[in-house]
Amino acid sequence: MLQTYVDRFVYWCYYSKDYAFVHDSKLAIPLLQSLHLIGIMLLLGTTVILNLRLLDIGFRRLPLPVLSEQLWRWTNIGLLLATVSGIMVFMADPTRYAHNQTFLRKMVLFCLALIYQFTVFRKVASQDPLVRSKAQNGMLAALSLCLWFGVAWAGRGIAFF
Amino acid sequence: MSPLPILNWLQNTNWATALKESALVFPLVEGSHILSLSLSVAMIVMFDLRLLRVTFRTQSVSLMMDELMQWALPGFCITFLTGALLFSTEAVRAWESPFFRIKLTLLALAGINALLYRYRYQPKMAEWDLTATPAGARVIAALSLIFWIGVITCGRTMAYEL
Repeated sequence: MLQTYVDRFVYWCYYSKDYAFVHDSKLAIPLLQSLHLIGIMLLLGTTVILNLRLLDIGFRRLPLPVLSEQLWRWTNIGLLLATVSGIMVFMADPTRYAHNQTFLRKMVLFCLALIYQFTVFRKVASQDPLVRSKAQNGMLAALSLCLWFGVAWAGRGIAFF
Repeated sequence: MSPLPILNWLQNTNWATALKESALVFPLVEGSHILSLSLSVAMIVMFDLRLLRVTFRTQSVSLMMDELMQWALPGFCITFLTGALLFSTEAVRAWESPFFRIKLTLLALAGINALLYRYRYQPKMAEWDLTATPAGARVIAALSLIFWIGVITCGRTMAYEL
């Protein structure tokens, strides 16, 4: 039953006229990959700013709640861009990615990063870091950075490993 | 004079060949290039958005510039160094790629654009720090966004044979 749906989906991705604008076009993948990178730029850039502030090593003249209030929207725009373009690249060649170990690791890290981002990190970034100890802030920032940079490095690794 | 002999020599030097053939160092250099580029461009984008009064409207332009640029500049140094290393591994192919040429042109334009801001608007920044950004500085901010998006798009696209 599930297998039938998967087969139909894969068949649709490779052969459907509806998706021909991606799989029959030479420019589609480079453009989608560029959008993917622009999304990553916004997502990682804003996340790094928040974490530098949380670690108290950068953006010290701006309170963390002000930073997160202003940056959160851009983190989400980046996340949305990267996710939509990523799904479209995946659909252009689903078997290549589904059988790639590095891609699967990236997806596991991505899910963990998403959960952490929208449960713990959102709350942490909206509070003054002084409500917690330095060590606690360090752990919270390290986890955020390791998860998102892990996703990014795994993504680059798909091409090599 | 054609630069091809020099580029050929460059990509055939021992270290360029070693870098290209290294299964670990090459992905590491390429990954660092993309990540440091993302981080420094994100800082520039946030500054452009401040000039356009889209974000951080209640914070002064000078404050945002101080905080953002001290991270953007070292980031660009890493991006430039790793970029030069990547170029050395396939100098001829890169040189002949139209996307690489457009990318370099856009980079130069982004540089001129930034210098224009530096010398025309930055000296008097304190006068309009918290009020309306001068029209010219807004144009510079908008152009900067366009140039950098173009640099990323051309850089990513030159990896493909088109």
